[in-house]
Amino acid sequence: MPIYLFIFRRILFTIPLLLGITVVAFILANAVPADPINANLPSNQLNNPELVEAFRREWGLDKPPVEQYLTYLGNLLQGNLGRSIRSRQPIAEDIGRFLPATIELSTVATILGVTFGVSFGVISAVWKNTPVDFLVRTLGLIGISVPLFVLALVGLTVFHAELGWVAGPGRLSVRLSPPPNVTGMYLIDSLLAGQWNVFQDALSRLILPSMVLALYITGMISRITRSSMLDVLRADYIRTARSKGLRERFVVLRHGLSNAMIPIVTAIGLSYGVLLAGAVLTESIFAWPGIGRYMFSASTGQDFPAIMGVSILIAFIYVVVNLVVDVLYYFLDPRVRAA
Amino acid sequence: MSSIISLTPASARRKRARRIVSIFLKNPLLLVGSLVLLVWLLVLFLAPNLATHDILQQNVSVRLQPPSGEHLWGTDELGRDIYSRVLYGARITLPAGIIVIVIGSIIGTVIGAVAGFYGGLLDELLMRLTELFMAFPTIILAMAITAALGPDIRNAIIALVVVWWPSYARLVRGLVLKVKRAEYVEAAQCLGARRSYILWRTVLPNCLGPTIVLTTLDIGSAILTFAGLSFLGLGPEPTSPEWGRMVAVGIDYFDQWWTWLFAGAATASVVLAFNFIGDSLRDLFNPELR
Repeated sequence: MPIYLFIFRRILFTIPLLLGITVVAFILANAVPADPINANLPSNQLNNPELVEAFRREWGLDKPPVEQYLTYLGNLLQGNLGRSIRSRQPIAEDIGRFLPATIELSTVATILGVTFGVSFGVISAVWKNTPVDFLVRTLGLIGISVPLFVLALVGLTVFHAELGWVAGPGRLSVRLSPPPNVTGMYLIDSLLAGQWNVFQDALSRLILPSMVLALYITGMISRITRSSMLDVLRADYIRTARSKGLRERFVVLRHGLSNAMIPIVTAIGLSYGVLLAGAVLTESIFAWPGIGRYMFSASTGQDFPAIMGVSILIAFIYVVVNLVVDVLYYFLDPRVRAA
Repeated sequence: MSSIISLTPASARRKRARRIVSIFLKNPLLLVGSLVLLVWLLVLFLAPNLATHDILQQNVSVRLQPPSGEHLWGTDELGRDIYSRVLYGARITLPAGIIVIVIGSIIGTVIGAVAGFYGGLLDELLMRLTELFMAFPTIILAMAITAALGPDIRNAIIALVVVWWPSYARLVRGLVLKVKRAEYVEAAQCLGARRSYILWRTVLPNCLGPTIVLTTLDIGSAILTFAGLSFLGLGPEPTSPEWGRMVAVGIDYFDQWWTWLFAGAATASVVLAFNFIGDSLRDLFNPELR
């Protein structure tokens, strides 16, 4: 099957899923007994019948639930997620402002976590049942067992308060102003603007939260890499490769790792979902103005339009990441191409 | 039947006991995990005897005291005794994680078994529903649900059950599809057993092994997520000595390490124990992985 057809079919399969996600979010937001008008409009606008009427019309509140949902979906397709109760801003704009911080954090965490996770997993499998293997496995277990919020606090206490190696919470020191907004990611924007001191400060604040997130991913990925590698290293073609006299490193990395990649790639896709979720905890500790913190204040403040918007967004991102994983299978596994 | 049992000599029973002991000795992780869990179960039952202070008693004059003879693990921002609160916390976090997984795995197992066994349109429908719930990252969906239902311990558990059943539905469906084709199932069909009898009595019991392994591995992450929810203030009420909730104090007082470290270490040790046990059980079930 040619690649464009493969991608097209995959996208087609995700459409019902994406619709389902919006239905779930809609039901959740409407399961609340609160009156949506009271919940959404500030008190000074409630006395104004024109504004109330306009709001009712925009969201189809005088119509039956199915039509309300279709109105919501129509607004969603035009990028209108409604207004946040707390910030009074359109939710799409809020998300646009908070999302880059999260993407910056999770991308760095993913790169660190995948690099360490895959290397540790390979090392662990090659030297299985040695002290190195035992050490890596124990570290992996600790990585997935210690709560993120505990790791974050330990990190802050040790590396910020005691040793002073890294800067404290926040994305940027209060002394500095953010770089000119291009991508919303401070590391990239500061480099584009040539503001070296801003880059340094942003980096020193990014290290700790991203390491905390990365430790969890490292644990997850190294466990999967190990078991996938162990499976592959037992295969006949590995014995063949060795008996051909290939160098061990070549056997392990070329014949071993590339065949062990499929479960690993799946785990990387899943870990991105874990990250977006972990961001909620990490961001609230590190005062990181990202989407996780936004979701946190929305759900403690009963800001349902915002909860709905963020849930839909995050589920969409998750679905897209898994779509990318599916496409990667196409390149990694000749059997998928043949099917 | 009774004659067979009475014929089992004491030596055979001793042999079995020795085999179980040797399984533990050969798997240090299983041993450590089980011991840690045993300690926490004892704490759970004996908390009132082991605690030194009233867990709700506030005393602002001794707030934020470091560990001492009077307050073994120090006091929190309201002067409550942290040692006693952590012990009582075992009565909330541990059962919450277990309840979530028990209910979630039962719901998931039933749905997955029905989908895999009966197939067709029903299977299609149930599996699409399962995928839909898996499309949301766990804590995000759980947050949305607790926000809708209102934050308290029961709603946090309900939210986590909603989040957790799909992975069991998926696993059990796959297992049922495999077991369904086994010869003993065919034999049961030939004997004229009813379909529902075959599903619940023949197929399902043969799918339980891997499901139970997943359960042990999952209790750890359910506890983590539950503690995470309550860390965010979406779990039990603020005065309750829930571990995640107690760690949350650390956001404001992270340099007074004792306010959050003990509750955090308690959570970590329980989760580690479950993961140690789950990992060892998985290895025991799949000797190839060792």
